[in-house]
Amino acid sequence: MNGRLRIALTKGRLQDRSLELFEAMGLDCSPIRHPGRRLIHSIPNYPLDAVLAKAPDVITYVERGVCDMGVVGKDTILEQGRSFYEVLDLGFGRCRFALAVKEGSDFYGTYRTRRVATKYPAVTRSFFSKKGMDVDIIRIEGSVELAPLLNLADAIVDIVETGATLRENGLVPIEDVAQVSARLIVNTASMKLCKAELEDFITRCERELSNRI
Amino acid sequence: MTYSANTPEGTRDRLFAECRDRRRVQNCLTALFRRRSYAEIITPEVEYYDLFIRSGNPMPQEAMLKIIDRSGKIMVMRPDCTTPIARVAATKLKSVPLPQRLYYNQTVFRSGDAHRADSSEIAQCGVELIGASGKKADVEMVAMAVDSLRECGLERFHIELGHVGFFRSLAAGMDMELHETEHMRRLIEGKNFAALNDMLEPYAGKPACAALRRLSHLFGTAEVLEEAQRLAADSKDLAYLRTLYEELRAAGYDEYIRFDLGLVHQIDYYTGVVFRGYVEGAGDAVLSGGRYDALVAAFGRPAQATGFAIDVDAVAACLPAAALPALELVVHYEDGLLAPALAAVDGRAAGTCELSPCRTLESTLKLAREKGAGAVLVVEKNGRREVPL
Repeated sequence: MNGRLRIALTKGRLQDRSLELFEAMGLDCSPIRHPGRRLIHSIPNYPLDAVLAKAPDVITYVERGVCDMGVVGKDTILEQGRSFYEVLDLGFGRCRFALAVKEGSDFYGTYRTRRVATKYPAVTRSFFSKKGMDVDIIRIEGSVELAPLLNLADAIVDIVETGATLRENGLVPIEDVAQVSARLIVNTASMKLCKAELEDFITRCERELSNRI
Repeated sequence: MTYSANTPEGTRDRLFAECRDRRRVQNCLTALFRRRSYAEIITPEVEYYDLFIRSGNPMPQEAMLKIIDRSGKIMVMRPDCTTPIARVAATKLKSVPLPQRLYYNQTVFRSGDAHRADSSEIAQCGVELIGASGKKADVEMVAMAVDSLRECGLERFHIELGHVGFFRSLAAGMDMELHETEHMRRLIEGKNFAALNDMLEPYAGKPACAALRRLSHLFGTAEVLEEAQRLAADSKDLAYLRTLYEELRAAGYDEYIRFDLGLVHQIDYYTGVVFRGYVEGAGDAVLSGGRYDALVAAFGRPAQATGFAIDVDAVAACLPAAALPALELVVHYEDGLLAPALAAVDGRAAGTCELSPCRTLESTLKLAREKGAGAVLVVEKNGRREVPL
């Protein structure tokens, strides 16, 4: 341990919002904003190094302890999270998981086993198993909205932000599956072995988040 | 596609240094266990699935590797060492007076998710103290945990104590539905600070609420006991942890001891003090254990018990790497001179000298060069000579 913490940030939209948060906390994030060829970025005025990764990799890095912390969406945590501490709801990246069907179709009004297309099979499985319903789940990697239109599936479970894509394709959300936002996660061993350092970071985060409300 | 040259996912061949490191840790631990009068038990690698259901083991069924035997019974590759030992203690050791000190050095099998590089085979060393309860038994077990990691050569580690009774009695004062209590337990276990706060909002009037809200923050050095004391002044479990700590401090163990009152995993299995060991360099706990007073009784013999298991390979990975010995000398000997040739090998450090199986000296020299040895020792009727390479 060299006294520096390491954090994995989810690339893309969450990355921008994470950096905004860190900068509001007084961290100099210029090395991440102007990365050059480096893959590990050191914050000059705080003992923190950052790496950028795809969401599922953020979870892998934190679970394995190669990163002490991570910023990742609740959607990814629900789909594949296992053992780490989920310490803060960072409040940004808000959206919801919803079950959506073709407009006018009656998803629940039949005994036939329904077919659901999704990028999130584990979330979908757990949602329907709580209802005691058997459904066939089809994993789709790209545009999930296409599946009901092609009659591949009766419904989809997917992330909905504004609902515009659904509407344009004649789909309507009929039920919320879960609310989603970005979370700060911490490796279990790091939490114990670097308690003071992590608590300092978490408290700064909390303070900034409470300023925002 | 054929699979004949690969090992199944989750399993692997362990070569040379890995074996040596695993054995070194096992030898350190078992030597300590024997010195403290723990006796070894080896249980079958395969057990009936029902054994682990009867035990109330919290392991999900999908984590167990299953086999169906010829009569159709479901068997599992041993997913945990404590349950079979509880079975033995309640049956075969029925007439042996308690307490019994038992240790094991065995592999457990767990089927993990694909592509996570999790091993399905986990080498564990552990101890069980069966038929003893109270402060002395708990202190002995925590001291054993510290000594075990120290014995392996680790210096920077913590043994972290919690008590499932602390959470249970706080939760009992909340008048929650069962599923709500479970939801709260998960939030505390996951140190989900914000969500726990939101969840407890409607219960703000309850006296236990303030303590539960802080529970996932209550980890660290013995100071957390003081904060907990202010939040739950009359908790007997807290008072008990404090007595344990005093006892451990008097014995010089305090620098390794930490607390986590939010350690609320497997609360239906554990019944009292629980603990985990964290080592710098390992991303997860390498030692895990606690008091399980109901398990042996599930097999028909009421006996309170405590124990812990150590993940041997996780400990080995935290130790400084040492190079394997390199081959220095190859021994070429004439027919009839096996004894002096073997004596030459035995007289050198392990792994640095080996016999040549070759008939002629030329082929021995060629072999020694291929293997990177520094010299060949020739053992002949009229003496021995060393040929440098």
